[in-house]
Amino acid sequence: MSARPGSHVLQVPPAALPRLTTTATLASWLTTVDHKRIGILYGATAFAFFLLGGIEALLIRLQLAVPENTVVSAHTYNALFTMHGTTMIFLAIMPFNAMFFNFVVPLLIGARDVAFPRLNALSYWIFLAGGLVLNASLLTGTPPDVGWFGYANLTSLHYSPGLNVDFWIFALQILGVSSVMSAINFIVTILNLRAPGMSMMRMPVFVWMTLVVQFLIALAFPPITVGLIFLMFDRFFGTHFYDVAAGADLHLWQHLFWIFGHPEVYILILPAFGIVSEVLPTFARKPLFGAPVMIYSGVLIGFFGFGVWSHHMFAAGMGPVADSAFSIATMLIAIPTGVKIFNWLATLWGGSIRTTTALHFAVGLVGLFTIGGLSGIMHSSPPVDLQQTDSYFVVAHLHYVLIGGSLFGIFAGIYYWWPKMTGRMIGEGLGRLNFWLMFVGFNLAFFPQHYLGAIGMPRRIYTYRADQGWTVANFASTIGAFGIALAVLVFAINAWRSLRRGDPAPADPWDGRTLEWRTSSPPPAHDFDVVPPVYGRDSFWREKYGPRRGPAPGGATAEHPDGGHAGIHLPAPSHWPLLIALGMLIVAVGGLTHVALVVVGALWTLYAIVRLALEHHRTPEHAEQRGVLGLDHRKVAMWVFLGSECFFFGTMIATFLAYKGRSVVGPAPHEIFNIPVTSLSTFDLLMSSLLMVLALAAIQRSDHRHTRLWLFGTAFFGLIFLGFQAFEFTDFVHRGFTMQRNLFGSTFFLLTGLHGTHVAIGVFWLLSLWVLSLRGRLGAVDAIKVEIAGLYWHFVDVVWIAIFTLVYLIP
Amino acid sequence: MSTVMPRSDYAREILHVYGIITWVTLGIAAIVGLALAWVLTRFRARPGTTAMPAQIRGHTLLEMAWTVGPALVLLGIAIPTIQAVFRTQAAPPKDALEVTVRGHQWWWEFQYPALQVATANELHVPAGRTVALTLEGPDVIHSFWVPRLGGKRDVVPGRLNRLTFTADTPGVYRGQCAEFCGVSHANMGMQVVVEAPDAFARWVAAQKAESPEPAAGPAAEGKAIFASRACVGCHTIRGVSSGPIGPDLTTFGSRQTIAAGILPNTIDNVTEWIKNPTAIKPDAKMPALGLTDQQARAVATYLAGLK
Amino acid sequence: MSAEHSGEQPTVGTYLLVALVLTLVTGLEVGVIYVRRLAPIIVPLLVAMSAAKFALVALFYMHLRYDSRVLTFLFVGPLILASGLAVALMTLTGAFLVFGR
Repeated sequence: MSARPGSHVLQVPPAALPRLTTTATLASWLTTVDHKRIGILYGATAFAFFLLGGIEALLIRLQLAVPENTVVSAHTYNALFTMHGTTMIFLAIMPFNAMFFNFVVPLLIGARDVAFPRLNALSYWIFLAGGLVLNASLLTGTPPDVGWFGYANLTSLHYSPGLNVDFWIFALQILGVSSVMSAINFIVTILNLRAPGMSMMRMPVFVWMTLVVQFLIALAFPPITVGLIFLMFDRFFGTHFYDVAAGADLHLWQHLFWIFGHPEVYILILPAFGIVSEVLPTFARKPLFGAPVMIYSGVLIGFFGFGVWSHHMFAAGMGPVADSAFSIATMLIAIPTGVKIFNWLATLWGGSIRTTTALHFAVGLVGLFTIGGLSGIMHSSPPVDLQQTDSYFVVAHLHYVLIGGSLFGIFAGIYYWWPKMTGRMIGEGLGRLNFWLMFVGFNLAFFPQHYLGAIGMPRRIYTYRADQGWTVANFASTIGAFGIALAVLVFAINAWRSLRRGDPAPADPWDGRTLEWRTSSPPPAHDFDVVPPVYGRDSFWREKYGPRRGPAPGGATAEHPDGGHAGIHLPAPSHWPLLIALGMLIVAVGGLTHVALVVVGALWTLYAIVRLALEHHRTPEHAEQRGVLGLDHRKVAMWVFLGSECFFFGTMIATFLAYKGRSVVGPAPHEIFNIPVTSLSTFDLLMSSLLMVLALAAIQRSDHRHTRLWLFGTAFFGLIFLGFQAFEFTDFVHRGFTMQRNLFGSTFFLLTGLHGTHVAIGVFWLLSLWVLSLRGRLGAVDAIKVEIAGLYWHFVDVVWIAIFTLVYLIP
Repeated sequence: MSTVMPRSDYAREILHVYGIITWVTLGIAAIVGLALAWVLTRFRARPGTTAMPAQIRGHTLLEMAWTVGPALVLLGIAIPTIQAVFRTQAAPPKDALEVTVRGHQWWWEFQYPALQVATANELHVPAGRTVALTLEGPDVIHSFWVPRLGGKRDVVPGRLNRLTFTADTPGVYRGQCAEFCGVSHANMGMQVVVEAPDAFARWVAAQKAESPEPAAGPAAEGKAIFASRACVGCHTIRGVSSGPIGPDLTTFGSRQTIAAGILPNTIDNVTEWIKNPTAIKPDAKMPALGLTDQQARAVATYLAGLK
Repeated sequence: MSAEHSGEQPTVGTYLLVALVLTLVTGLEVGVIYVRRLAPIIVPLLVAMSAAKFALVALFYMHLRYDSRVLTFLFVGPLILASGLAVALMTLTGAFLVFGR
């Protein structure tokens, strides 16, 4: 077997290689559904927001360079750290990660694109909308100024009367939609689109980390979505979720925020861990040491990451039992994390290490994240944390893990995959300079902050007195920050030079181990001329150097519908994703200005969604979308979505029960509920599920008359349920029981109202299917569409089963 | 405001655990750092090498070792941690000095219910006697933090949080609000004066006594202005006014700092503060009453005499 | 459509039977809240009955009993995690007052 790298890539004439350059039109970028282009869009946008967040950081550091400085006012400073945190987390690190998920993951699993290319594009445009909404607040002079974590009740209308917090709420909600949609897409992609022979355990560790991250996103975002809905209703409609006088518990916001916030930090770091797990083996010319353990530890970190959130609340006063429980859980998570560090060291040990720029950044992560992880262990001990939290010590900790960890990982990935993404090599000389400036600047900026925290400097303060003894360390930290800025400038120059006149990149510049190096740089639009063979973990390395393994037991053997060059179906571009995102932007603008725009935007969005849904209703290649698991992509996606919805409704039900009995004024549940009537509506909804399964059975046997009958019947029963609900709500309101009345009103109306909204959406969906059938456009081949509508409908029914018992019946 | 120079049992308990964890983490950092440095030097590819290194995929025993090892180390950290958690959050003894702390935007109110005394921004406690703070808040979340006397505890409206400590050394210790609470969060400092029991008793007596009559001249003039303006609506000076909204000023003259630990307590600073509070503390709730420099100085002179 | 199922398919009879059971259990649920002697165990009783209905709809109407196990994991995993978090949230906010202060 020849050992020459790249010798196994099919030779394709250069003219057939589409270049990812500006010769492509603007329109093609606006309507692209190609995962590679979408990845570039995420990356470029992330870089722009990264620069913005960086400027915010430099202003912060300038203000703190000397005591009692007057570079910015207190108001501006508070907005700066709020915007810096929100921007870096949601608009820089997450989309940088998304750039890699999009560009590289399909290639790594031997796929040609993601499961839902148009939804992929939609995720990007919605992300852009969210970023624009957040930063529009700068233009109106009302940027959010309550911290990226926005604790209630500082965020209430009383203490934050302007539009600042509203911008923040709308931006985060929009960004959440983008992320969850993307998460579902990538879960289905990784589960269902792997090349034959690519069993789960043969997948590269970066793909595994991506998979864990997508589950974290799908499940962790709903709680913050609910928490933000509560805040929005408090601010706009006078509910009492965070109203102490009405009996609310201010810890609720903190719990909901951190139930999201802690998994979020793993969302931010696991991709970087995945990148290091690809970069180190490549440049050490050895396999990743203990790949299965790296995979299991990543899964464990993700799972247990849901159990440690209150370590952000050790100062909040939860009591010693809760403090201890969360302390122990947090220490436990350190174990799989530490294992990764040691496995990376063992990967390098005995290797033949080529010190490329990518390797520099990866090694930098190993060292710097160790420091960040160790300060994290200090924080895991509540007594110690009570001195360190809310001081510059934790600011040092978080930047060691987020810059030393996430950002260094991202830069490693950028330098590593730059040839593949751009088709050009990027300078190693400037790359080293980039690395060392970043490394020195970063440590100078943030190591002194451990000391500042230890001598008592609190965080989020716009100034400090000269007699505190904090001046020298602050000044040094500011210099370091500018060092980081210089490093970023060097990177920008390096990137520009590469794009302008970098050497053309071969398919396999690093003698790589994984499948992306098996196709040209950049890949053609269809990624692979033929679906690549999979010989085990590190498949491409095995192909080049052996040993090749046969099909994995239980590995995929299903044929790809488009096996071979001649039968490749490329997803067609679409303008509906852009238009849907635009509609959501209009809704957000309306929320900040005038309700008429909310209505206009909502109708526009709904129309565009319907058009997107029907765009390929009759496209033959879209009829059957079965993948490696033998399951239809859309069915898998719906189940993942329902899992996410368990968190959405679970959070609201938990809040209802947590707040039960805390209302300061009446009525109480047993004084107002009409159980007999509600029993009837419950019965009605249960029966509607029966009609739904009959509809599915009908279409599966091509009985279209009965399909229409049962579809309409289900929708009709759904409308009856909504009628009951409307009757109940009206009755309550007439008796003075509104969502503004008391805590019970707020939790009850929001929970059942949002459930009713889900029912209404279901009714609309079912009636749309019914109309399609009436027009003869719903055949047996479309049974899957009825099936997934049914899954949604049954889930909504099942949520009501829970609500009926836990809200209405339990005394 | 050092966190590693303790002056109370609480702070010392913390430092004990802090020390253990610091040594452990420094040790781990050294091991990882040295390993990394060694590996990068020893296994750097020599120019011209083409030999492929041995493709080792893993080593179960090693991986188990560096899973179990850290677990044991963490156990060594967890045990003193849990012990300290329960010890530092134990219920205070019956004879503890109870103080109610109310965090406002952006100042600290201290009430001693058993002693019938109230003050603001400067907390006096006797050395050697357990102090039991109950933290409550009328507006937003704040956090009470005096590093040399212990860890921080949030002030959460709607909840009662506790912080208990026994200060051992007389002295003046600085504190600051440690939970972002709005525009002037940075300007919400405080001082804790730990004093010998007899000095503390004297301070309590001065707080309870009616404030002394001011000397003739600017001080008397200042009192007259104070008593006739909106000042009385917010501030309490025993025997003069009972405003419930702003800090108690009964022994204002004896405090070391003003405006919640921001400025030294001098007549010049107090004058500037009275003339324009928001210039010193952005968005402060205290309005500027349009006093002339001379009037403000008179009030400042009066307040300086309140000891 | 049948290739992905384990072979056995529910009949309309099965669906009707499930509908009947759902109706009966709902009726029982509403009934037991008026039975004073059951008051001490009413909460676990109602939760159990509700869980049974939930399971019936998931297993039969949503087809999990007959479908690939992957789908069950995809749904039940988050369901269990969400339930655990809900219980934790309620405990921490004092709804159960288990750990008192």
